[in-house]
Amino acid sequence: MALNVVVCLKQIPNPDLQFQISSDGKDIRRDALNYKLNGADEYALEEAVRIKEKQGGRVVALTLGPKRTEQMLREALAKGGDEAVRIAYDDPSAFDVGKNARLLAAAIRTLPHDLVLTGVQSDDYVNSATGGLLAGVLGLPHASVVTRVVVRERQLEATCELEGGLQRVYALPLPALLTIQFGANTPRYAPLPAIMKAARQPIKELGPAALGLVGWDSIALPYSFGVRGLSPPAAKGHAEMVTGSLEEQAKRLAQMLRDKGFVRR
Amino acid sequence: MKGVLIIAEHLEGRLAPSTPELITTGRSLAAALGGAARIAVLGSGVRELADRLAVYTLDVLLAEHPALAEYTGDGYVRAVRGIVESNSPRAILVAHTSQGYDFASALAGAMDLPLVTNCLALDVDGDRLVATRRLLNEKVQAKVEIRSERPIVVTMRPGAEKPMGPGRGMMTVTAVPVLIDPSAIRETFLRLERPQVQDIDLSGADIIVSAGRGIQKKENLVLIEEFAKAIGGVVGASRPLTDMDWLPKTRQVGQSGKTVRPKLYVACGISGAMQHVAGMKDASLIVAINTDPTAPIFEVAHVGFVADVLKLLPATLKELKA
Repeated sequence: MALNVVVCLKQIPNPDLQFQISSDGKDIRRDALNYKLNGADEYALEEAVRIKEKQGGRVVALTLGPKRTEQMLREALAKGGDEAVRIAYDDPSAFDVGKNARLLAAAIRTLPHDLVLTGVQSDDYVNSATGGLLAGVLGLPHASVVTRVVVRERQLEATCELEGGLQRVYALPLPALLTIQFGANTPRYAPLPAIMKAARQPIKELGPAALGLVGWDSIALPYSFGVRGLSPPAAKGHAEMVTGSLEEQAKRLAQMLRDKGFVRR
Repeated sequence: MKGVLIIAEHLEGRLAPSTPELITTGRSLAAALGGAARIAVLGSGVRELADRLAVYTLDVLLAEHPALAEYTGDGYVRAVRGIVESNSPRAILVAHTSQGYDFASALAGAMDLPLVTNCLALDVDGDRLVATRRLLNEKVQAKVEIRSERPIVVTMRPGAEKPMGPGRGMMTVTAVPVLIDPSAIRETFLRLERPQVQDIDLSGADIIVSAGRGIQKKENLVLIEEFAKAIGGVVGASRPLTDMDWLPKTRQVGQSGKTVRPKLYVACGISGAMQHVAGMKDASLIVAINTDPTAPIFEVAHVGFVADVLKLLPATLKELKA
């Protein structure tokens, strides 16, 4: 049975980098950031494409963000996505996961969807909330932290990871929403001809009107949200740092291991 | 609209370790709001668990229904909806665990409630709830505020707060009606799977040398193994390595893997994401080696080396043999 799969992707600053706080203290400095597709979303995209390859159907890659996210959407097209949709909500930080999810839900309502996938979390804000919020708002059955998906006609079997290596397996009817865990599959590399083709493919842009809104701020929210401020984390503690040349560091480490009795004679 | 509703988490008759931590947070939040904290236990045949919770000296709401025997998003959302509507809490506290955020975010979506997740601390400032969170691989701390007339759904990061110890004096356990139509629960629980143990058990090891993405290539595991052998240890890993199948899942240290408390833990090229740190922070001596001086692993380590592990380990091995 052919499935319409919508996969929600997020472009995030590479979290391995170092960050500075902006002068107003409400955001990180974004002038020289290197952006990438969120880690867990790579697995969600791959899962979407694999399901399509097996079942038939289409994969729509959906994002919310400024123009720069088009690069990520083209990567998704090159890796097997059929269509790319960008909600042109240009807030570069978009800290409010509730607002983001409600905008994504409004867009998903305009797309045929048998299955909605998201990554389990985004590595920038680590909310692990978008998938569940979407399921709640859209009224879809859902499962989170999914490491394995099996499609059986109008039903899914999803294996969900718990703490400590335990897993729970659920059956869900379609349409459904799943949040995909790191390591659920092995994401593919995009072949060069697909990259070339994706560079020419159109990207559908949704403005507020397409989502039935007068403006981005007219979406109904049951709360008001604000960022009070960002800061370097108050370190709970810090390691005693061993400095010096590599040789000096090695000597100190070896000495410490000997002193504490960890070296086998 | 002053109280705090805590949602207990349990599996196979055992309370999740995060629940007593939530009670600590819930009680101090309730005090700041001028209300009371209550805890809800959902399940089937969980009366005994509810009785045990009452020693934490807070009122327990017992929501029992055969359809709640196993966790499902739909079952929990429907049952808690009823409790929220009759109790009108100011905040609903849930642990930021796999089950916790699955439930909390779906509840917020289904009931159109405000949500803030993965919080380290909560404060009340007038009519606002202020949450402290960590962003971007623990490198940035954020304070966000939410103001709402509706109950605010909050998930708290496990380990952020000390667990509540039992208090004196018992509180009441009140059974609450659960009005759910089992046929409206769309997710069907099939089975619980346990990890296959056919490898060494990391949780019993005295010395663990763990590798992370900083080792760059699978071939470099040989170096980690050689170093571990020299100090009588075993090799562990952070999640990305077991995801890539460089090492079996049994070697993964962290929230979704093993929790370890060795005498010595050497973190090699591990950045120290929350998920990893949760599994090793209680080691007696933590040595971290990483090229990034801002890596959060240096926050939990006792001794730190800003160095390329692929160079420092061979140099140290040479020193040890000398």
